[in-house]
Amino acid sequence: MATGLSRLVAIAFTLVLLVSTLPLPVSFAGGEITSIESVPDLQKLMYVAVDGFPCVRLLNLSGEIGCSNPGLNKVVAPIIKLKDVKDLDQPHTILVTADEMEDFFARVSNDLSFASKVGGVLVESGSNFQQKLKGFSPDKKFPQAQFSPYENIEYKWNSAASSIMWKNYNFPVYLLSESGISAVQEILSKKKMKHKTYTSDVAEFNMVMETTKAGTHNSEACLREGTCLPLGGYSVWSSLPPINASSSNNRKPIVLTVASMDSASFFRDKSFGADSPISGLVALLGAVDALSRVDGFSNLKKQLVFLVLTGETWGYLGSRRFLHELDLHSDAVAGLSDSPIETVLEIGSVGKGLSEGINTFFAHKTRVSSVTNMTLDALKIAQDSFASKNIKILSADTANPGIPPSSLMAFMKKNPQTSAVVLEDFDTNFVNKFYHSHLDDLSNINSSSVVAAASIVARTLYILASDSKDTSNSALGSIHINTSFVEELLTCLLACEPGLSCNLVKDYISPTNTCPGNYAGVILGEPSSKPYLGYVGDVSRFLWNFLADKTSVQKGNTTSVCSKGVCSKTNEVCIKAENNKEGTCVVSTTRYVPAYSTRLKYNDGAWTILPQNSSDSMEMVDPVWTESNWDTIRVHVYTVQHSVYDNAVLIVGITVTTLAYIGILVAKSIIAKALKQD
Amino acid sequence: MTVAAGIGYALVALGPSLSLFVSVISRKPFLILTVLSSTLLWLVSLIILSGLWRPFLPLKANVWWPYALLVVTSVCFQEALRFMFWKVYKRLEDVLDSFADRISRPRLFLTDKLLIALAGGLGHGVAHAVFFCLSLLTPAFGPATFYVEKCSKVPFFLVSAIIALAFVTIHTFSMVIAFEGYAKGNKVDQVIVPVIHLAAGMLTLVNFASEGCVVGVPLLYVVASLTLVHCGKMVWQRLLESRNQSSGSQ
Repeated sequence: MATGLSRLVAIAFTLVLLVSTLPLPVSFAGGEITSIESVPDLQKLMYVAVDGFPCVRLLNLSGEIGCSNPGLNKVVAPIIKLKDVKDLDQPHTILVTADEMEDFFARVSNDLSFASKVGGVLVESGSNFQQKLKGFSPDKKFPQAQFSPYENIEYKWNSAASSIMWKNYNFPVYLLSESGISAVQEILSKKKMKHKTYTSDVAEFNMVMETTKAGTHNSEACLREGTCLPLGGYSVWSSLPPINASSSNNRKPIVLTVASMDSASFFRDKSFGADSPISGLVALLGAVDALSRVDGFSNLKKQLVFLVLTGETWGYLGSRRFLHELDLHSDAVAGLSDSPIETVLEIGSVGKGLSEGINTFFAHKTRVSSVTNMTLDALKIAQDSFASKNIKILSADTANPGIPPSSLMAFMKKNPQTSAVVLEDFDTNFVNKFYHSHLDDLSNINSSSVVAAASIVARTLYILASDSKDTSNSALGSIHINTSFVEELLTCLLACEPGLSCNLVKDYISPTNTCPGNYAGVILGEPSSKPYLGYVGDVSRFLWNFLADKTSVQKGNTTSVCSKGVCSKTNEVCIKAENNKEGTCVVSTTRYVPAYSTRLKYNDGAWTILPQNSSDSMEMVDPVWTESNWDTIRVHVYTVQHSVYDNAVLIVGITVTTLAYIGILVAKSIIAKALKQD
Repeated sequence: MTVAAGIGYALVALGPSLSLFVSVISRKPFLILTVLSSTLLWLVSLIILSGLWRPFLPLKANVWWPYALLVVTSVCFQEALRFMFWKVYKRLEDVLDSFADRISRPRLFLTDKLLIALAGGLGHGVAHAVFFCLSLLTPAFGPATFYVEKCSKVPFFLVSAIIALAFVTIHTFSMVIAFEGYAKGNKVDQVIVPVIHLAAGMLTLVNFASEGCVVGVPLLYVVASLTLVHCGKMVWQRLLESRNQSSGSQ
């Protein structure tokens, strides 16, 4: 009865609002609310939630970069466009377009009085800026130069560099999504329409970082106080064919193929990194898919191993940890650590190789050796094996100071004798004008270039593994990349629509997000080779399942169902076990390798920084990146009235009440008099 | 906006009712009871109306005629209820009068009857204002303000408060008119109350038009003033009549 009544009262409220004093035909940019039916609806219309991507606070051993609210409170500041900024008397929210970003942040860094008038920043961007801008890269001219195996660290690999993401800003910065842009523009256009002088449109930023709260301004302090977590994630490796870990004989030399899966940008969750490095990852997966259809790998002379690294943007975390685990002979690399790695082939940025109908890639080698020559020869043979002749492999300019920024730098630092080649779409400097920016998205790359790279890689790996130089080999000619698979993979990993909810990914895992951020992220819980899957990123999980599936050997048609994610045989793994369905047991050697700084140690729920090991040159320069913890990041825009107006309303209210009181007293006395007049 | 503005809006809508309550109603417990029962009655009427309209909700925001229908049915229903309220009151008055006769005390004075009608009207008015304005005001205490596109010059909350004040006035005084109309059997007064109520309700539909509030709200105040003036005149006349009667009978 009570619930029935309360329900009716609720309906009454709805009705009241419908017949209310002002029926509100509202069209709203968000598209969700078309009419106000309740007070929460009204509140949503008043405080418009703005969708977008924040820039967050990152810390290293010596300081901070990124953005945060300056204090512990929300920042509320009136919105102004950058071109309208003139002698601001109070902090404002500055609306900056993507093409103005570089100049704006340079000005903020150089002009402290201007910086003090910046309350927050909203960045307006879109794919159209790719045409408008000659180049935009918030990274450095030589990204991660401190890990370079050669001396010339002044070399400009990244000519569009502005370095703005490596600075510290004491105000919130927020990249607006498309719906965010229309929400902000709607509120600004309303203001214009009304010419109101007694209101202003403000943005409210809730981007309070825990490191700011706790006053911990470097990685060591924040890890001690537990206000941040180390950057990292899970790399994945897989071998083709599976390695029998129990038998130690018949170890074949390893051909290691490497790609990265994480990118970075000024804004945390908008780092698609289409060209650098996801194009390389997709090319690798395309090649694995093609090779999985080739028989007889177990008879070849060499062992193929595919390694997809994460955390490479933040001090080559993935590759350094992988090499460290190899040294330790840990479980994560069981089966790998006993065999020699003969050669490494890294697939770098390969999304922009297409020019005038020909896809050109450059092979950058670590050093001159018989093994690198063998890889280069294999690449040439692979190139010549295509009848269409539209793929060209060139050796990189010998005038280059060395290999471009890539995971190979970590391999080189570890062992300068490493024979390795990295395949890139550039020669002397990046052709990707949007390196490590939010604009390096699907439209920045060409899928045919990725397909071409995958084709070359697949055939090269086959040549390397079989150790034959016979171009007429029929098996070689039968290796073909599935173009539609590569294209689908690109839309899965580089777009929000369909994003990770595409069928290809959903077949293997149930993704937690549809929009792939491709930011490394932080490492949650204890790092382990058998991690709790809730702590492993969507892309890592997808790669693990995908690689395990593609590199598995099908022994007859007897696929066994795994119960509770566990397979009975030790060399089997359980794949496709998410989505609340039974998984399948397949024979495969596919493992997670945690990726985090080698200077960190996890102990009883807390991270500690290990002392520097002076014999390891990479540990000496390791910045040990961490990300500050934060609660929720929200941005709202709304209209506020000036306080003069507010006070005027109060005075009017009091006046009306008082006048009414006087009026009633007068009426009472008149009536009293009238009644007594006799 | 701030707490200051929130209080300001609340006072615009309900300040005069508060004044009336403090200076007149609160002096007599019986009037307080009348206000409360009238508020409750109005609330019940709203709940019943919501139940009836439930299957048709939500109405399209850009078509005005279903709202007109809603206003018409609501007004009819509430006017019927007002008549019932009067019947109940009448029975109570008779009981009280006979009780007064039995214990040899004077019957209800004219002013008492008028005050009871006033209290009944105030209850209706306050319930209206609480539901139609005060319930919307909670967001007004926060920092943001809100403007509706079709009434872009004035904040939404201020318009609500101003309209609520008009309705409080209309409800309060039309009850006095109605009670007197029923008591005297005056057909004009009996008819004019639903007409006023309906006219006021329909005038809110003017707000559908772009910048309609600029016209609709002043017109609503014209209706409110007419109600007030008519009520004043009528009461004045009744007072004079009753004085003449009482002086005649002496």
